[in-house]
Amino acid sequence: MMQTDTSLEAALNALLLADAHALDSKDMPGWLGNYADEEAAAYYCRSAENSEHGLALGFMYDDCRARLEDRVTFVNDIWAGTFQDYRTRHFVQLTSFNRVDATTLEMRSNFSVFMTPKDSGITQVLAAGQYLDTVRQDKNGELKLLSRRAELDTSVLPRYLVYPI
Amino acid sequence: MTEINLSWPKNYNEVPKEAFVRKDIYAEEVKRIFHGTEWHPVAHESELPNPGDFKTFRLAGVPLLIGRDVEGVVRVFYNACSHRGNQLETAIMGNKTEFECPYHRWLFDSKGDLVGCPNPREFLPGFNKADYPLAQPRFDIYFGLIFVTLSAETEPLLEYLGDSQNCLRELLAGDGRLKLLGYQKVRYDTNWKSYTDNDGYHAPLLHQAFKMLNWQGGKGRQYTATHRGHICFESALSVATGPSVLKDKSLIEFKGQDPAVGSRIVSLFPTFVSTKHLDVINLRFATPIDAETVEVHYAYFAHQDDDEDMVRHRLRQSSNLLGPCGLISMEDASVFHRIHIGNHTPGSAIFQKGVHDPLKLESEFLQNDESGNLPRWEYYRSVMGFERATV
Repeated sequence: MMQTDTSLEAALNALLLADAHALDSKDMPGWLGNYADEEAAAYYCRSAENSEHGLALGFMYDDCRARLEDRVTFVNDIWAGTFQDYRTRHFVQLTSFNRVDATTLEMRSNFSVFMTPKDSGITQVLAAGQYLDTVRQDKNGELKLLSRRAELDTSVLPRYLVYPI
Repeated sequence: MTEINLSWPKNYNEVPKEAFVRKDIYAEEVKRIFHGTEWHPVAHESELPNPGDFKTFRLAGVPLLIGRDVEGVVRVFYNACSHRGNQLETAIMGNKTEFECPYHRWLFDSKGDLVGCPNPREFLPGFNKADYPLAQPRFDIYFGLIFVTLSAETEPLLEYLGDSQNCLRELLAGDGRLKLLGYQKVRYDTNWKSYTDNDGYHAPLLHQAFKMLNWQGGKGRQYTATHRGHICFESALSVATGPSVLKDKSLIEFKGQDPAVGSRIVSLFPTFVSTKHLDVINLRFATPIDAETVEVHYAYFAHQDDDEDMVRHRLRQSSNLLGPCGLISMEDASVFHRIHIGNHTPGSAIFQKGVHDPLKLESEFLQNDESGNLPRWEYYRSVMGFERATV
């Protein structure tokens, strides 16, 4: 770690865990609530294979606040009742962070996501990779995600994705 | 060929579910279809824009190395050393002007010629490097779309495509001058036929999002283009007006030059599906992994003449509209799985929508008709040698 600020590190870890908790609870408004209330708030999910070859296309490309809000609508309204649901468990580990300016930080973390389809009950790995995050710190010191790129080592998904990774 | 017994119903609109799940049938499909007299799209030239660019792909297990040589010519090789058959290239894509097999250090140039091998004096008397280029399957190219066939008997590609040519050319932006945006890759837990049966075809009631695209009226045209049952869809596509549930409407914005036919789909036997919806150009390279698994590489493209704004628009639309997490397609992916589970029950899958007479095959259909798949099933039945019941 570049920083020795343990309270900052604890706050970043709390943000990571809050996002994992929201996703594993299928709490899409809660997921949205982890993002900064700014037009530029963004979530991307794409394979590291695409990134390494300069290809920007993703599995999910929510590059503005409106698209994040639409992602909630996809899951909660548009797709409701059409898919085999599955549980997820996100395991997240902070690997580095640094301060960019007074209100902005960058952090990296590893993730692995297990999934358990409700019908089969068999648990398997859905994806592994790393989160590349930009974090906004407000005047009160509260941290929110300004942008997150879930970069998947898993270039071939074992299943369609309903929820963000 | 091995004789496989499967009782096929008299009616054209019935497909025995056993065909989707029996492993002996799958083994025979690999021989008769994937290694047989069919052309299989495996890449588009625009995935290899520069000399030395390559991509690897496995077609029903057969490893292929698709590359552009140093002079810019596209070539397809078997991805196996001409010596002992070791897999030559392990990367999924990249740029190389030479390929070296690490096993005995045989070195091949981008034209597939063997240009180096250590200690040839220890080889068979008369050994000549010129006799050991990389082996090649037959391949041909249509507006940049690279097809492979593993049989010497397959008819020429244009004949194979038949009346699907025009729709496919228009889908490839009219000139095939595409620019790769990236991939979404996924495995579905389903038999390859369940995938192709349900990918190009749209079940309008499944998709809430179709309301936004005025796609529930079934007004478009669907037709089969050859005796193989290749299917083409051409549909007007207008985004519904009025209040939208989407806050970012750019996801379903249509900026393209083809407004009369906003949606085109070409589905070629056995597994290829390609679509142009709104401003998304999507080629789906699919291959069976086994009887119960199919792997699909969704490749998305812009056009070479697009300005920066249009490329960005296509990127934003492509990422979120189609594929295994797309607004209008995620439910398809789930149906692939559920159909495969349901196919482990007795009896036949029965097609209804658009079927006028179960004893006749038609070739013109409405956009949302299920019956468009039936000519392909009849071709499949004949290739597999299954006898249709007379009563």
